[in-house]
Amino acid sequence: MKTLDRILKSINTIPAFPATGNKVAQLLTKPDYSVNEVAGVIKFDPSITANILKMANSAYFGPRHKISNINDAVVYLGQQNLLRAIQTAGVSKYYKKGAPGYFDKVTDLWEHSVAVALMSQIISKKVTGHEDTTLYTAALLHDVGKIIMGEFVRDSLVKISALVSTQNVSFLEAEESVIGINHAELGGKIAAYWKFPTEIIEAISFHHRPDLLEKEEKMMPWMVYIADQACLMLGFGGGVDGLSYRAVSQVLKKFNLRMKDLEMSMVLLSDDLNHAKEIISII
Amino acid sequence: MSDLIVGISDIKVSNNAGDVIITYALGSCIGIVVFDPIAKVGGMLHYMLPESSLDQNKARENPEMFADTGIPLLFKSCYKLGADKKRMVVKAAGGASILDDTNFFRIGQKNIMAMRKIFWKNNVMIDKEDIGLNYNRTVRLEISTGKVFVRTSGGEMKEL
Repeated sequence: MKTLDRILKSINTIPAFPATGNKVAQLLTKPDYSVNEVAGVIKFDPSITANILKMANSAYFGPRHKISNINDAVVYLGQQNLLRAIQTAGVSKYYKKGAPGYFDKVTDLWEHSVAVALMSQIISKKVTGHEDTTLYTAALLHDVGKIIMGEFVRDSLVKISALVSTQNVSFLEAEESVIGINHAELGGKIAAYWKFPTEIIEAISFHHRPDLLEKEEKMMPWMVYIADQACLMLGFGGGVDGLSYRAVSQVLKKFNLRMKDLEMSMVLLSDDLNHAKEIISII
Repeated sequence: MSDLIVGISDIKVSNNAGDVIITYALGSCIGIVVFDPIAKVGGMLHYMLPESSLDQNKARENPEMFADTGIPLLFKSCYKLGADKKRMVVKAAGGASILDDTNFFRIGQKNIMAMRKIFWKNNVMIDKEDIGLNYNRTVRLEISTGKVFVRTSGGEMKEL
């Protein structure tokens, strides 16, 4: 079987994405939802329940009293944070084995993903004035393609690295030319298999090249792009691909950001990450 | 004998011959390593951004975050352990950039320029450096020998 076919086939071996997030999101749209109903849906998944309690008690969400049951967590976190916590808890299990081939340490991919998700919210607040749960999920999942691509990258690393170092080719382009697909596009296919909305699928597929997505007005791929680049620069979860990705220089202008804004976002991110240790530790 | 890990925006110094000081995953950030071979005192700074004027409150709270507040602090911390400026060997690694990095996201280059400016003003020579390009670096300093090693992601440890 050709490599590309093997890769595409292995998407079907990934377990289905936990439905808890979608179910809770649907409940929250009803004007008369009850805390008990929401807690009931969450409790159905014990691993998500345990992780939400851990996260709700983290310094990042900063509770004054210990939160010991899901009902309290639902009330304390509020809608936005609750959805983010559920998605984080749901995504974490796919990152447990890391992405050998890209990273030395098994936790590197997860740490990078959480950092990009937190950074996406800092950027979103700066640009639009508010946080965005859908963007958070897209950012958390932007590199999900690497969980499958890892072993193929490892097998072809000599060829890929040679292209990157001698031909002025980005890591993404080298993946595509050597393996037949890149990790962003593959990630988009995984998100589609999980039935995520188009917005999230596109943000994942185009997270290194938002300029190639024809629907120029879409903000999400650009936000994930800039959050990812900032984290790569900071060394949060840099792997064999390092910083070998193309600069898409329109991004700062598009969001009317100055260099100083980007630097300030990095300062804010380092504070968030100090408080997010429990979130990172859930895998 | 222990491994001292330098986090982002962090400094570690030591005069204990058994210690190894390490920082992981320098992207655009820069790791500055100093060592006094006579006093056997060494230290490492991992700074994130060039200038403390960006956020002076932050700089007071965490001077290791910026080149202009972190580098002086690194030297002072080593003096406290008996190091002498005249004898200190200075090495630097990091400051990587993403591709085609001509006019935006220049944090790697800005970090390199900030370091050069500070050392030049203070008459300090950089003895060895491995900076720029577009890969991550891990840096190790052995206090027993003063040797510095740099590893690029996926590559091998090489002496700097």
